[in-house]
Amino acid sequence: MSVYQADAIVIRSREYGESDRLLTLFSREQGKLQAIAKGVRKPKSRQRAGAQLFTYADYLLHKGHTLDTVNEASPRESFPHLWNDFERSLAATGMAELLDVATLPGQPHPELFTLTLTGFFLLEHYSPFLIQGAYALRLLHILGYHPRLENCAECGAKVEGSRIFFSPAAGGIVCSHCRGAYSGRWVAAGSLAFMRQLLYRDMDKLDRLRWNSSLRDEVLAATEFYCEQKFERRLRSWQMRNLGCGRESDYGSESDKQH
Amino acid sequence: MNFLSYPRPLADLITALSRLPGIGPKTAGRLAFYLLQEPEAAEALAQSIRAAKEEIRQCSLCCNFTDSDPCALCQSDQRDHSLLCVVEQPRDVAALEKTGEYKGLYHVLHGTLSPMEGIGPDQLRIKELLGRLEGVKEVVMAVNPTVEGETTALYLSRLLKPMGILVTRIAHGLPVGGDLEYADEVTIARALEGRRQL
Repeated sequence: MSVYQADAIVIRSREYGESDRLLTLFSREQGKLQAIAKGVRKPKSRQRAGAQLFTYADYLLHKGHTLDTVNEASPRESFPHLWNDFERSLAATGMAELLDVATLPGQPHPELFTLTLTGFFLLEHYSPFLIQGAYALRLLHILGYHPRLENCAECGAKVEGSRIFFSPAAGGIVCSHCRGAYSGRWVAAGSLAFMRQLLYRDMDKLDRLRWNSSLRDEVLAATEFYCEQKFERRLRSWQMRNLGCGRESDYGSESDKQH
Repeated sequence: MNFLSYPRPLADLITALSRLPGIGPKTAGRLAFYLLQEPEAAEALAQSIRAAKEEIRQCSLCCNFTDSDPCALCQSDQRDHSLLCVVEQPRDVAALEKTGEYKGLYHVLHGTLSPMEGIGPDQLRIKELLGRLEGVKEVVMAVNPTVEGETTALYLSRLLKPMGILVTRIAHGLPVGGDLEYADEVTIARALEGRRQL
């Protein structure tokens, strides 16, 4: 099959050669794949819109020896809110980078595709870093890396205390008896309770959750730590979230109306 | 490509040429043989590369490439020093200058914010921009209309607005000679936003 279709989201778009872009697409049917979009940096290119980061489009791709080529791209959604708002763009970048790091080419994950698309749509109205945190925890769940946040990941006992030991190597929180040689970090019980809400609450009801900057920082730092340890890769965009974190208060339900 | 059959200096030349953007091993080989057959062209090219390497540096004000510091544009009395245009790359300055429409000064960032690639504000010439704002009334963002370009423009506008500087963005819309039918929704929406009275 030299030509095939893909219903996909652009999760990475890099300049390539004189006027091309190298796209990393996450498609519903084929999972992650890479393709060259030729000439898309020229103003008159017809495929330009389909080569932009975060675009959701129908692609017609041509299979190549080393890289596939984009023959046609019909954008379905360009997510303009991810272009116009710094925090939303930063959160979407964090989600796209995590998806790229966590998946291998050619392995379809339709559930993950739907989650990503839902996340990008919800970023229009919901607090961006809330969606980013919920997305990361749900991605871990779908890929089988679900962190145990209720009971000890080792013995299943109830874990109590104001600060609880959280270890990616153990697969979640661990009690004082099982902690042993596990590496990890201490996380406030309130932050873990918030992470449970991010994981289990319906995505469209996440806007009812409220957090302050210290809770947000700890939840995102613990989630980032867990993901980096599990996938053994640094999440560079997550480390830059502080560039935009100063304005999280603007994204409460009341002030959402401004955006 | 296997260059082992070539003498070492020739193989090294082909390898060096193939590292240039847009040049593959085959083209590099063709260029290398041409340079060997045309010694005068080779000598002139070598001198130009050496001269550019030794004489061209970054302007301490606008960070554009220049052979004099400050560059001719930054020193010019003919330019409007209260107007500053922020661009991504030195070649963008040439593109804007070609229009002959802009009379202010420039500032070259040498890239855009790209959190996924680990490029943050420290990797760009943002500190230099913040250090040259005395007397500047308007900053025009002329970065590329990509997600990274927009993110950079939003970040800079957040830094500059509290200083009382007017921050503007060059218009987005349909390219001259373009076809509305093939334009994407973001471009058409921006073109509508930026419509003008006739």
